[in-house]
Amino acid sequence: MSTIVEARGLKMYFPVGRTLGGKPKKLLKAVDDVSFSIAKGETFGLVGESGCGKTTIGRCLVRLYEPTDGQIFFDGQDIAHLSEKPLAPYRRRMQMIFQDPYASLNPRMTVASIIAEPLRYAGASREYQNERVRELVDLVGLKPDHLQRYPHEFSGGQRQRVGIARALACNPEFIVCDEPISALDVSIQAQVINTLESLQEKLGLSYLFVSHDLSMVRHISHNVGVMYLGCMVERAPVQELYSNMLHPYTQALMSAVPIPDPDMAAASQRIHLSGDVPTPIDPPSGCRFRARCPYATEQCAQERPELREVAPDHFVACHRIK
Amino acid sequence: MQRLLDIENLRTTFDIHVGKVQAVRGVNLHVDEGETVGIVGESGCGKSVSMLSVLHLLPDYAKISADKMVFDGTDLTTLTPKMFRKISGDQIGMIFQDPMTSLNPLFTVGDQLIEPLRIHKGISKAEAREIVLEKLRLVEIPDPESRMKQYPHELSGGMRQRIMIAMAIMCNPRLIIADEPTTALDVTIQAQILDLLQSLQKKLGTAVIMITHDLGVIAGMCSRVLVMYGGVVVEEGTVREIFYEPKHPYTWGLLRSIPQKSGEKRKLIPIPGSPPDLIAPPPGCPFVARCPYAMNICNSTLPEMTQLSDTHCARCRLLDEGAPRVVWEGNRE
Repeated sequence: MSTIVEARGLKMYFPVGRTLGGKPKKLLKAVDDVSFSIAKGETFGLVGESGCGKTTIGRCLVRLYEPTDGQIFFDGQDIAHLSEKPLAPYRRRMQMIFQDPYASLNPRMTVASIIAEPLRYAGASREYQNERVRELVDLVGLKPDHLQRYPHEFSGGQRQRVGIARALACNPEFIVCDEPISALDVSIQAQVINTLESLQEKLGLSYLFVSHDLSMVRHISHNVGVMYLGCMVERAPVQELYSNMLHPYTQALMSAVPIPDPDMAAASQRIHLSGDVPTPIDPPSGCRFRARCPYATEQCAQERPELREVAPDHFVACHRIK
Repeated sequence: MQRLLDIENLRTTFDIHVGKVQAVRGVNLHVDEGETVGIVGESGCGKSVSMLSVLHLLPDYAKISADKMVFDGTDLTTLTPKMFRKISGDQIGMIFQDPMTSLNPLFTVGDQLIEPLRIHKGISKAEAREIVLEKLRLVEIPDPESRMKQYPHELSGGMRQRIMIAMAIMCNPRLIIADEPTTALDVTIQAQILDLLQSLQKKLGTAVIMITHDLGVIAGMCSRVLVMYGGVVVEEGTVREIFYEPKHPYTWGLLRSIPQKSGEKRKLIPIPGSPPDLIAPPPGCPFVARCPYAMNICNSTLPEMTQLSDTHCARCRLLDEGAPRVVWEGNRE
């Protein structure tokens, strides 16, 4: 399978506070040296707790941020530092679905004009816009008579479909789904997930699926990366990762997910992580997880573990795993 | 076991400009001493409003009525506001969803915990401080002396939720109502908070009502479950009955729309459509518009609760004699 998006050594630092001279006092290392690739037609799941940098990665890939360092290859071309003009044709090919369908739709625009907006920017004719909007509405499972309504008239799940239709307007190849279901109710989440899956089948889309819901990520993804404090600590195909998790953080994270089955919940053992995630301003030296890791040693404080391949396609960043 | 809270036919209506929102439409609920009861349902199903009604925490335009509302032998409907405050403050603790918006950002954590305790118990500042410190240790807050001098924004989400729990158990309540206590938290922090709630419950023997939309939290925490939809309880049973022998199509829908723990690729089966508008709720079963098994009769009248065992009951016409037999195949393979 050919690669559509690849990040190599991606870094995104945000300045925090300024001195009188205008220099940043400190750097918030939101993403620190992350590499992975997404194949055509594949879903790459990115999981981790809040503040681990998963959303920042998504925003870098679609170039809402210009990364501090590293490369982003989109269809073979490095777009990490392209300026707006040469970037324009790539913009059309990658889109984003946002977390909160209540905040990401303009309340003063009708559904039709929201979905047509990307087409207007792309310079499509009025006839094509109308035709395409009707097509898209059908594709995401809304009705044509919804078109002249405003976002507040819809439920959360329907709004998220409007967001999906807008993302699909320009026929993108790659979509970043940034927590697309976390604002929705359980019964509605499944509707949106099924829509995303059937669109992938029909249109051959690739997704970066950012979520903290580990069971949904498992359901929808082909490959999964686990993030902790700006670093990717483990990456593997979904079956391999969930059956053979190696990094102590991945194990703790998975064991913390409540199991919707009373017998299995009673039989399961939780791995306790004490404390909270440290701040990404001045993160711990060496392995970033060592402050909460039950197995941390001297070596973990000094050396930062590299992401190494320990089984076919299974990468782990931990000194313990040989 | 002794009955702690007993509610019959609770109705809550909000009088707003577009009409009357019938948020809770006849809920029966009882909690025994020391037990954990879960209330599960989607947003707007009335699960939070029913509990806020019990605590009289709703605004004036909410009209609350109940045939029976008894807490530990006291009839809550006849109490004066002052007497009610004494009982609710002392014996019922409440934990809210979002710890950031439920703590006052302008006061230190210590002030927020000490002041109400002094007012409530009429004790000196030093005595109150001792009790607060003891409770903060109980909820496993490291270095509680210095935490008390901090403002809420200086604490992490998990720490803030621990403060909220400390606040809820301050007067040694008999009942804690936890309204989505972990929804705003990350999974590893959620696990810490759930463990804390469980261990506190063991230590203090408190009963807990757990309001959540997360079936995982229900499965791990609760002994009995109420499933709510459109302002009514559609099914009630022990946690095993609800997960392994559910009888209501809505419960089936909820269980089928979450991914399997085993991770086997299976298409999720969503519940089509969206919940009913409670300004003009359907006269019949609230779930009728989304139910694959709906019959004509479901449109006209709300089905009665059918008792299936001592603990298990469901509100569905499929359980009537002579109704077509529909069998739940289970969501386990």
